[in-house]
Amino acid sequence: MSTDAVLRALAEPQRRRILTLVRDRELAAGEIAGHFDVTPQAVSQHLRVLKDAGLLRERREGTRRLYAIRPEAIEPVRAYLDDLWPASLRRLKHTVEADKARRP
Amino acid sequence: MTDPYTASIRIDAEPAEVFPYLTDAGLIVRWMGDWADLDPTPGGKVALDITGVPIRGEYLVVEPPHRLVFTWGAAGSDSLPPGSTTVEIRLRPDGDGTLLELAHRDLPPEEAPQHDVGWGHFLARLAIAGAGGDPGPDPWAAT
Repeated sequence: MSTDAVLRALAEPQRRRILTLVRDRELAAGEIAGHFDVTPQAVSQHLRVLKDAGLLRERREGTRRLYAIRPEAIEPVRAYLDDLWPASLRRLKHTVEADKARRP
Repeated sequence: MTDPYTASIRIDAEPAEVFPYLTDAGLIVRWMGDWADLDPTPGGKVALDITGVPIRGEYLVVEPPHRLVFTWGAAGSDSLPPGSTTVEIRLRPDGDGTLLELAHRDLPPEEAPQHDVGWGHFLARLAIAGAGGDPGPDPWAAT
């Protein structure tokens, strides 16, 4: 599990919605799919991305697969996000200064 | 979290040299986001895709080369809808360079403590932007 994988997983709006759905309670894959207009296969792919990123915990109960959030996966990404503006501004500084240095 | 969120940086270039990097679509994507469509006039649109998050808003104040205010939100987001937050950037002369000061206002507050991850806040932060590192393309991104 990596920060990049978590960010990639979170970049897609439907996946963020899935996380919101299972934030407070465990839900079966079918119940999650019921909230979306896309195919169950598409929802299933999203669930796999979220699970592989460590954002979701999967539990089997008979033939059902139940999903819940893994809040601990968020911490490294929070640190990254807290640095977003500073990191962007550092890139702005380097870009402007490099362009200026290149001008005759 | 504190509101507004503030950040600043010194740049070795005059404000007039820095300002276009905040309003020109071709220049902004060199330091933030991967696609932009900008209309830097009051009421003009701000569209910037950052690691797959569609940031949308509009310019409120455009005073080159010293001050820029625009709204900021993520299309399709409940926690941070377009227009819901405001970013103000001031460029002050500092010797032969510029002191850039940024304030991001009206960010959603932390959620109640029982939501121990502060989820809405977290997603808002995600949408706030500026990919500090490149998470790469999203293989499952909606098209």
